[in-house]
Amino acid sequence: MLPLTAVCLGVLAALLAWPVPAALARARWTRQDPLAALVCWQAVGLAGGLSIIGALLVHGLSPWGHSLPVAWWRWVTHWFSGAQPAEQAVRGDHWVAQTLAAVLALELLGVLVLSLVRTARTRARHRELLELLVGPATDVDARVLDSPVPAAFCIPGARPLLVLSSGMVEELDADQLAAVVAHERAHLRERHHLLLLPFVAWRAALPVLPAADRAHDAVRDLVEMRADDVALRALTGPTPRRTLAQAIVAAAEGGAPHGALAVNGGPLAQRVTRLLDPPAPLPRWARPAALTSAVALLLVPTALLLAPAVF
Amino acid sequence: MASLGDLERAVMERLWAAEEPVAATTLRDELAGDGTRAIALTTVHTVLTRLESKGFVRHDDARPRRFAARASREEHAAELMHEVLGQSADRQAVLARFIGSATAGEAAMLRALLADSTPTDTD
Repeated sequence: MLPLTAVCLGVLAALLAWPVPAALARARWTRQDPLAALVCWQAVGLAGGLSIIGALLVHGLSPWGHSLPVAWWRWVTHWFSGAQPAEQAVRGDHWVAQTLAAVLALELLGVLVLSLVRTARTRARHRELLELLVGPATDVDARVLDSPVPAAFCIPGARPLLVLSSGMVEELDADQLAAVVAHERAHLRERHHLLLLPFVAWRAALPVLPAADRAHDAVRDLVEMRADDVALRALTGPTPRRTLAQAIVAAAEGGAPHGALAVNGGPLAQRVTRLLDPPAPLPRWARPAALTSAVALLLVPTALLLAPAVF
Repeated sequence: MASLGDLERAVMERLWAAEEPVAATTLRDELAGDGTRAIALTTVHTVLTRLESKGFVRHDDARPRRFAARASREEHAAELMHEVLGQSADRQAVLARFIGSATAGEAAMLRALLADSTPTDTD
């Protein structure tokens, strides 16, 4: 059964493992609408996992029935009753596909859970240290950590902590500090750490897949751009774009190790260029189109998995 | 009554300021001295036990036991900054940093970008 379904899912998985993430990482429009791009990345990640595991599962269970739900049910019950043997001969490759599907599903989920736990533990440790070390800032709504290196960061969670180093406070003027704080608040409010987490986990789980690397870097840069966009709306000064760009440059200068190699481009340069010389907004239809594509990308493997057999 | 977190901070401040290990009774007296209300000795012990389990405080075997900070405030701050400024991808997920690490060359290039752009804002 379902040979065509398995093939379709396999082709989709191959597309999502390399050409689609490569194209999305290269696309220019993502800088104009980071939010829509982030939704697309989540869809690519989910649909990719669904289609590769689905392809293996559909093939592995094909001797048991004509659609995956039916085959799955018969496969589960045949262990207990033994009364419903497979409809067709079960060959070695069916068992291999089943095993691979199980291993892959367990690895992807396992690494995700593991990285959730490890992240939570590290955050708890940082929070303990910070609660003893930091004092409230005078001008802005943040805590200040005594350290000469300019740094700003936040620890997400139920009680988020927004921290500026004293070096950062000395380096920036009041408007620039407000821009930094607005940027970090945007991360916290939109839960950007949750958007990034699956890509961190899957990069660790699939080190052989170059797309996992690209996807992670692209998502990391997009959440920064998104936070910049949200921060701009909250800033009141006469030149908010320039203020935020100045804050980025000042922080980069203060924190740069001396004697390091020069780099052309890079995510920081992209962010600064985007702030100083904003790209023309996308046409009105672009965002709905991107979101529709993301939904379609998720619906295709789901439909293939649940639909009855295609011959 | 101050929260446990506030008390933990107050106790650590004392231990960081102290030259040598301090007994719990001394800590209680000192904490009562700058507050308006007295603090029970058991409360001080609770706070010290919590700080010990977090690895910030250790005690000696003298009788009565005396308590000291494991590391100075500066050492803890340096440890934290080291983690914050670390390169590993995991850190990116743990802490949302305002900017990732920049090299000296990159910082110079960013400065040039800023200088090249006209200071008039368009928005």
